[in-house]
Amino acid sequence: MIENIIFLAAPITACILLAGILGYFGNHILSRGIIFIDIALAQIAALGSMIGLLLGYADGSAAVSYLSLLFTVLVISVFSLTKFEKQVIPQEAIIGIIYGIGLGIAMLLAEKIPGGSNYISKTITGNILWVTWENVFHCIFIFVPIALIHFLLRRHFINISASKNNLPYSLNKVRLFELIFYISFAIVVVYAVPIGGIFLVFVLLIAPTAIATLFTQKWSHRFFWSWMIGIIGSFAGIYLSYEIDISNGPAIVCLLGILVFMFALAKIFVQKMKRS
Amino acid sequence: MLTAIEFMLAPFVVCLLLIGINIYFGIHVIKREIIFIDIALAQIAALGGTIAGILHDLLPSSAEHAHNEHTIWWYLFAIGFTTAAALLFSLLKSRRLSLPLESLIGIAYAVAATGAVVILDKAAGGELHVHDMVAGSILWVNWHQITVLFFVFALIGLFHFKFRKKFFALTDAYNDENTYYHFWWDFLFYATFGIAVVFSVQVGGILTIFAFLIIPASTSALFSNKWSTRILFGWGLGTIVTVCGLYLSWAMDVPSSPTVILFLGVFLLLAILVRRLGILEFLVDGGKNI
Repeated sequence: MIENIIFLAAPITACILLAGILGYFGNHILSRGIIFIDIALAQIAALGSMIGLLLGYADGSAAVSYLSLLFTVLVISVFSLTKFEKQVIPQEAIIGIIYGIGLGIAMLLAEKIPGGSNYISKTITGNILWVTWENVFHCIFIFVPIALIHFLLRRHFINISASKNNLPYSLNKVRLFELIFYISFAIVVVYAVPIGGIFLVFVLLIAPTAIATLFTQKWSHRFFWSWMIGIIGSFAGIYLSYEIDISNGPAIVCLLGILVFMFALAKIFVQKMKRS
Repeated sequence: MLTAIEFMLAPFVVCLLLIGINIYFGIHVIKREIIFIDIALAQIAALGGTIAGILHDLLPSSAEHAHNEHTIWWYLFAIGFTTAAALLFSLLKSRRLSLPLESLIGIAYAVAATGAVVILDKAAGGELHVHDMVAGSILWVNWHQITVLFFVFALIGLFHFKFRKKFFALTDAYNDENTYYHFWWDFLFYATFGIAVVFSVQVGGILTIFAFLIIPASTSALFSNKWSTRILFGWGLGTIVTVCGLYLSWAMDVPSSPTVILFLGVFLLLAILVRRLGILEFLVDGGKNI
């Protein structure tokens, strides 16, 4: 048992880190209603990598990674400037369009690169059990400064996320905060997806906060509970994957996902009972 | 030129059909802000189809069938799953859950995608192939498929036309807190949309259908708030862009789907520019200011 825990120490740490930072961002993402942003970002990052490969850099080199990050930050900066007082086209639609065009370009380029089909979104996999301590330390170095920035600016981000149709500040001030928010988010996604895979990151972003938001509207509670649920869900998923011999990413995704629906249906049922 | 037309006629016709139904639904989707629903429904349908395939392989009397054409069982399971999802989505919207429906759609998508992987992993033993229909096969469509599509879309289209007032009212009030809501009409919306998605994605591929759904509807939203204007504008734009895209992909020998999608994107950008610069103001009716 002890050897298992030592063996799992790095993945456990990674889960705690990912659940924390993704759960935090997830609350904002949920309130803003831009659910698929991380899938779009992962595709854009993959497209950035493809551009790096086309420019002649070696697969897996640092140059390709940095190019990918740069490209993603560029695209998300443009996106953050599409925030308006009145959204004619919803921001989620803009994300969808970015995703669609990114995927389209990736498909055109995939033919020109050996192994190009690895960069088409759904096949972006990762396995959290293979995470190394090096990965974990990288994550800590990147996530902690970002967490600090978000802690300092938390009131502002919450004000913007919580406001539906009006802006809490002037348009340019809002856009500045949006820029900081989305760039930091993009960096987190670009580092998290290779570790956990695209669906695990997506689910850790959305599912814990969905469950938490079913029961409380207070931001501090949502942050706390989404982190806890994320950790418990990851551990339970890894355990489940071991017991029934399936891959751990899908196990965590399915477990947390089905939990969300169960809680949602349960809440509706309870509401219905109260009404009658 | 003649060979181009001959070669492109079937793809062009199928694009018209796909544009017709998907732009209509796209306007609903943009207004309801459930953007990724068709990707989710396509994945859920694929999950159903995968299960059908596995059950089919498990049956002792499984016969050979062509790999590219799905059996009737595939379609039944796929549509069954999307209808179940439709029930779930309309149920979860009908009470105020303080969660955007898009989040539940997203989670359903992730569960369906990974669930399919798990099931295939566990059950795969035989010759089960899952084609991830991202690009689609518009260029290889045959007239038999076109006929089927025509009838399915015509039925759905007529249904939606007959009850358009109900559907429009439901969608327009979708994100308001205390207004008009009918569970069964919402369910019928998602159920018919699910059927349209299953048939569309089989021919067009997930990416093309997604683009047809979202981009023209977004472009038309820049110019008008009225349903009729948005639909006609979307149809017009979609047709022109598809013709250009198909011709260009033929002339330059590049894959057709990404080309059409890029064209749609380019036209959207042009439309944004046009609105920003205030040109063509006479086209705008009730559209919001940028």
